[in-house]
Amino acid sequence: MAEYAPVDLTVENQVEFELDGRRVAAPAGTMLADACYAHGVEIPIFCYEPRIGPPIGACRMCLVEVEGMRGLQTACSTPVAPDMVVRTTTDAVKEAQDGVLEVLLANHPLDCPVCDKGGECPLQDRTFKFGPGTSRYVEPKRHQPKPLNLSHRIALDRERCISCFRCVRFSQEVAQDGELTMQERGARSEITTFSGDPYRGRFSGNIIDVCPVGALTSIPYRFVSRPWDVQNTPSVCGLCPVGCNTELTVREGRTKRVTGRPEPNPAVEEGWLCDTGRWAYDASWSQARITAAVVREATGDRTATLEDAVDGAAALLRGRTAGILVGTAATVEEAGIAADLAGGALPGAVVARMGIPGGALAPLRALPGAQLGDVDDADLVVVAGGDPSAQQPVAELRLRKARRFGATVTGCGPRPHALEALGTFIRTAPGDLAAGVASLAEAIAAATRPVVMWDEADLAGEPAAAEALAAAIAANPAARQLELGAEVNGSGLRALGLPDAGAVLDAVRAGTVDALLLVHADPLDAPGRAAWDAALEGFAGPVIAIASHADATTERADLVLPALTMWEQEGTLVSMNGRVQRLRPGARGPEGAAAGWELLVALAHRLGVVPGYRTAAAAFRAVTAGRPAFAGITPEAAGVLGVPLAAPAQVAGASAPPPASGEGVPLVATRTVYGGAAARRSAALADTAAPAELRMAPDTAAAHWVNDGDRVVLRSSSGESGRLTVRVGDGLPEGVVFAPLGAPGSPTEGVLPADMAPVLVRVARVEAG
Amino acid sequence: MPILNSVYRHREAGRPLTELAAYREAGGYKALESVLGETDADDLQYAFVRSGLRGRGGAGFPMGRKASFLPKDSRLPKYVVCNADESEPGTFKDREIMEMNPFQLLEGLTLAGYAIGAVRGYIYIRGEYEHQARVLDAAVRAAREAGFLGKDLLRSGFDYDITVYRGAGAYICGEETALLESLEGKRGQPRLKPPFPAVAGLYGSPTLINNVETLTALPPIVTRGADWYAALGPEKSPGTKLFSISGHVVRPGNYEIVLGDTTLRELIFEHAGGLREGRRVKAVWVGGSSVPVIGEEHLDTPLDYESLQGIGTALGSGGCIVMDDSGCIVRACLRLASFYRHESCGKCSPCREGTSWFERILQRMVDGDGRMEDFELLESLFRRVSGKTLCPLADGAIAPIRSAIKLFRDDFIRVCQEGSPRPEPMLPASVG
Repeated sequence: MAEYAPVDLTVENQVEFELDGRRVAAPAGTMLADACYAHGVEIPIFCYEPRIGPPIGACRMCLVEVEGMRGLQTACSTPVAPDMVVRTTTDAVKEAQDGVLEVLLANHPLDCPVCDKGGECPLQDRTFKFGPGTSRYVEPKRHQPKPLNLSHRIALDRERCISCFRCVRFSQEVAQDGELTMQERGARSEITTFSGDPYRGRFSGNIIDVCPVGALTSIPYRFVSRPWDVQNTPSVCGLCPVGCNTELTVREGRTKRVTGRPEPNPAVEEGWLCDTGRWAYDASWSQARITAAVVREATGDRTATLEDAVDGAAALLRGRTAGILVGTAATVEEAGIAADLAGGALPGAVVARMGIPGGALAPLRALPGAQLGDVDDADLVVVAGGDPSAQQPVAELRLRKARRFGATVTGCGPRPHALEALGTFIRTAPGDLAAGVASLAEAIAAATRPVVMWDEADLAGEPAAAEALAAAIAANPAARQLELGAEVNGSGLRALGLPDAGAVLDAVRAGTVDALLLVHADPLDAPGRAAWDAALEGFAGPVIAIASHADATTERADLVLPALTMWEQEGTLVSMNGRVQRLRPGARGPEGAAAGWELLVALAHRLGVVPGYRTAAAAFRAVTAGRPAFAGITPEAAGVLGVPLAAPAQVAGASAPPPASGEGVPLVATRTVYGGAAARRSAALADTAAPAELRMAPDTAAAHWVNDGDRVVLRSSSGESGRLTVRVGDGLPEGVVFAPLGAPGSPTEGVLPADMAPVLVRVARVEAG
Repeated sequence: MPILNSVYRHREAGRPLTELAAYREAGGYKALESVLGETDADDLQYAFVRSGLRGRGGAGFPMGRKASFLPKDSRLPKYVVCNADESEPGTFKDREIMEMNPFQLLEGLTLAGYAIGAVRGYIYIRGEYEHQARVLDAAVRAAREAGFLGKDLLRSGFDYDITVYRGAGAYICGEETALLESLEGKRGQPRLKPPFPAVAGLYGSPTLINNVETLTALPPIVTRGADWYAALGPEKSPGTKLFSISGHVVRPGNYEIVLGDTTLRELIFEHAGGLREGRRVKAVWVGGSSVPVIGEEHLDTPLDYESLQGIGTALGSGGCIVMDDSGCIVRACLRLASFYRHESCGKCSPCREGTSWFERILQRMVDGDGRMEDFELLESLFRRVSGKTLCPLADGAIAPIRSAIKLFRDDFIRVCQEGSPRPEPMLPASVG
C-alpha cells in the first residue's frame, strides 16, 4: 500500500530492534509504522501519509507499546532506535485500537452500501481487521447536509470525514495552493476552502486518493461503479511528457476513473496526478471523437467500415511515394512501424516526426540526466526557461517538495510563472535566455548536488543559451540535467531516429512525395502551421490521417482512419526524462476504431508486405532493434515502473534557428496542459479550459493601441495567428506579449515557426472589446 | 496562616501599579537594573533554578530547569513567550496581575529573556482579555520610552522588545504548542512532541514558555535573592501562589498565600469568608476544572503541590472552585463536559469524539435517561481516551468527571433514575 513509506532493507548500518519478539532491522530514521510494514506487520494508520510530509500524530490509530516509554507511542512518529522493544499485539494496543476506531465510528454514518469508497476504504478495511465488532454509541449521530460540492469535480461528505487532515495538508504542503483548511473546531471541524469558493487547484484530485474514508469522492465517478465490478490497470498518462504512472479503472469496456497508482512510481510522479491527467478520460467519448472511418469524396463524406477504409487507404497509397508524419503523442510502436513502412510497404517514403527539431539541444541532452525523483535529493534546483506548472504539471510538485526539503530553487526565463515564488528567478528578455543562464552558472558550480531543469521549447529556440547552459552544467561533475520536454513522446520519436517534420515539408514542397500519411500528426494545429497550410494548399496527392479526434488536419484529409486513445491501446511512451513506460489498454474504444499500430500493420499487409510481428510487444522489439537508445530495453524490462533509455534520445544536429526577424513585439508562447486541448474535450474539465488570450502589461497595450477585451490577430515572419482576446494585466513585464499554445482553434501556432525560434509579432486589432 | 503579599508588588503596595512611576516607586525595575551588564546570564538562570520556582500555569514544571533546556549556542534567535491565555475555568489570577501590575510582568519577561539570551518576548493574551491587553500595550509603550525595552537596554548592549499578541479565544491555545501555532498565525492546535519548544518552538527557534504568574515572580527573586524565595514554604515547591477562589463562597477573589502554609479549609473559611449560612462543602476543584474533585474530608490538606498530589488531586492553576451542598454534582460534570467538548481543538480523534460523547452521556443522565451500564461505558471510554491523546486537554476533561463519579456515585445513580431538575435561579449558558 502506498500509505506506508517504502523502506530499503538492503542499505548498510541498519538499526536493529525487536518487533513482537522478532529481531529485525531498518535504516536509522525510519518511522516504526513503515519499518513494521516492511517486516510484514501492519500498524493501522489514517492521518499518516509520508508523501504529504512529516507525521502529525492526529488520528492516534497507530499506538504501539515501546518498552521503557511511558504510555503507548504513535508508530507514525517514533523512529526506530537500537534495541528498541516494540509490541504491536498486546492487550493495551488492542484496547487502544478498539478505542480509536470506536470513537471514529461513533459519528460516522456507516452508509458504506451507498458510498463510492465502500470496498476500497481504509476505514472499512481497518475496522474489519483491527476494530471492535460492535458499537456502544447509542446517541443520535451528527448529521450534515450531504454532499457538498467542494469543486466541480470533488464531492465532500462531511459526515464521513474523520478529520485526518490529509487533504488539508496536501493542499497546504504538497500543492501549496493555500486553498483547503479546517473550519470550526472539535467535533464540528469540517473541511472547506479558505474563501468558501470551489477548490481551485491544478492538483486538487489527489485529495480523493489520499482520503482514507468516503468523505472526498470524484463527482464524475459518483455512483458509477463498485470496486468489485471493475478492473484496475496500471498505465501511463499520455497527455504531457512527464509520464505519470496512472491506474485506469475500467468497467464494461469504458474508462470510468483514473487515479494515482496504489504503488506509485517514486522516480516520476510519486502517486500524484494533475487534474487534467485525472479527469480528461471522458475525452475518449467526447463529441470530437472519431468513431468511424471517413472517406472524403467529391460527392461528399461517407463513413466506411474499418476493413473498407484500410483497403481504401492502401489503394490511395499504392504506387505512390509517401510522406509519413508521426505526431508527438504517437507511441514508439506506431512511430517505429511507420518508419519501417519506408523500407518495405511504402518504398522511398519520407518519414519524419512532428515537434521541435531541437538540433541545438544535443550538448544538453548528452549530459548526465536526472529522473524527476532525483530532484528530492538536490541541494539546488535550477529552472531554465519554461513554466513547469502549465507545461509539465507534476514537475511542479517535485520542485515544491525539493524546496520543502531545503533545496534552493532558482532560475530564469522570459515568462512569469507560479514557481517563481519558490526562490530567486531572473526574468530575461525574450531571445536573451543566455543572459539569465550566465547569471546562474556560479550557483550551479557551487552546489553539491544540483539538478538543472531546462525547457525544451525555450532552449531549442535559443542555441546560445543552450550552449551556455550545457557548459555550466558540465563544469560541475555532480550536476545533472533534467529536460522539461514539450512533447508527450518526443523522446521516443527521437530515440527511433526520426528526423524533424521539415524533411516531409520539404518533400511536399519539392513535389518528391505524392501522398501523405499522418499518424496522430496534426501539422495544421502546431507551430509552423502557416508553412504547412501553404504547402498543403497546392498538394494534389491523397492525405490519409490516422487519428482519434477530429482536428484541423483530419478536416483536410481524404481518408480518416479512427485510432484508439492512450486510455484504450497498448504501446510504449518515452517520458521527457527518457523513461520507457508502457501504456496498457483499459477501455475498449469505439467499435469502428483500432489501435494506430494495428492500422499500420493492416496497411502494410494490404500493400503486400507482411510485418514480422502481430503484437504490440513484438512490434516494440522489432522497431527498436538496432537503435542504440533502446539497447537492452524490452517490454518485460520496462515492467510496471519503466526503465530509462540506454542512451539519450538525440537528434542529428539540425541547423540552429535564425534569430528573430521581422519587426514588432516579442511573443512568448506557453503550452498549456492544464486547461489545454485535453481539457477542452473533457466535460469534467470544461471549466478549466484556457481561453485564447493575448496577455500583456498596460504600457505595452497602450503602445499597440489595444485595450483589455479587444480581439486581435498577430502577424510574424512565419505567418498569421487566429483571433486572440487581449488581457491587460499588472505584474507582467512590459515590451512583450504572452499567448498560449493549444488554445481553441490553435490561434498562436500560426505565428510560430516549427523550430520555436523567437519571433516578433505585430498586433492588429480586428474588433474592439 | 495569614495572607502574604510579598511577591506581587501591587498587592504589597495595596494599589494598582499601572503607571511606570508608581511601579518604580514600589521597587520596580530594580531587579533589571541590578542584573543588566552586571550579572552573567548563566548566573541569573542558576538563580532561577535555586529559587525552586515552579511553573504556575498548571503543570508545575520547575522554571529554571525549563530555561536550562534551551541550547546555549543556537544558530537561530531565541524567544520567550508569556502564556497569558488564562482560560482554565475558575482561574483569574493572571488577569489581576496584568490589570494591576503590568510592569512587573514586563520586567520578569525581560529578565527571562536576558537569562536565555532571547531577542524578543511575546505575550500571548486571550482575546477576551481586551482591557488587560490594552493595559499591557500601554505599559509596553511606557517601558520602551523609558529605555526598559528596545535597543541597548540601560546601555548594557542587550536588545530586547516585547510584543503583545491577542488570541482569538480558545482554551487549547493555553497548551504551549497550540499557543505557538496560534502565535505564528495558524490554527491553534497542539503540535506533535518532540521536538519540544525549548529546541524548536516559535518559528522553529528555541523558545521558553512561561505563565504570567511565573514570570512576574522573577523580579523579587532577583532583588531579594533566590534563597529568600526558596525558603518560603516547602522545600520542593517553595514560594507564594495566587489562588483564585470562586463558587459558593462569600468573598470570592484572588489570595496570595505561601505554599504549604495554608490549608484548604483556611483558604475557604478564613480568606474567602466561608460558605452561605447553613451550607456545607460538597465538592472542591482546587486547581482549576481539570483536576480531580475532592470532598469535605480533605479540607485540612495544606495547599502545596505535594500535599494535593497526595490526596489524588493537583494544585493546577490554583483556580479553586467551591460547590456547596445546594448544587448537583452531575449537572456540574455536564457543564464541565460541555466546556471541554466546546474547547477540544479537533485535531486528535479520541479527544474530538470522546469529549463530545462524554457530554452526550451526561446530558442523558441529567435528563433522567441514564442507564446503569453508562457507568461502565464511561469508565471504559475514560480508559481508552486517557493518555492516548496529543495533548492533556482530554485528560483535563476526564479527571473531574471520573473522580466525581467515584466520589459521588450515589448522586449519579439517583440522577440517572430521576434526572436532575434545572436549579433556580440559573444564569443563561454562554457556551454553546
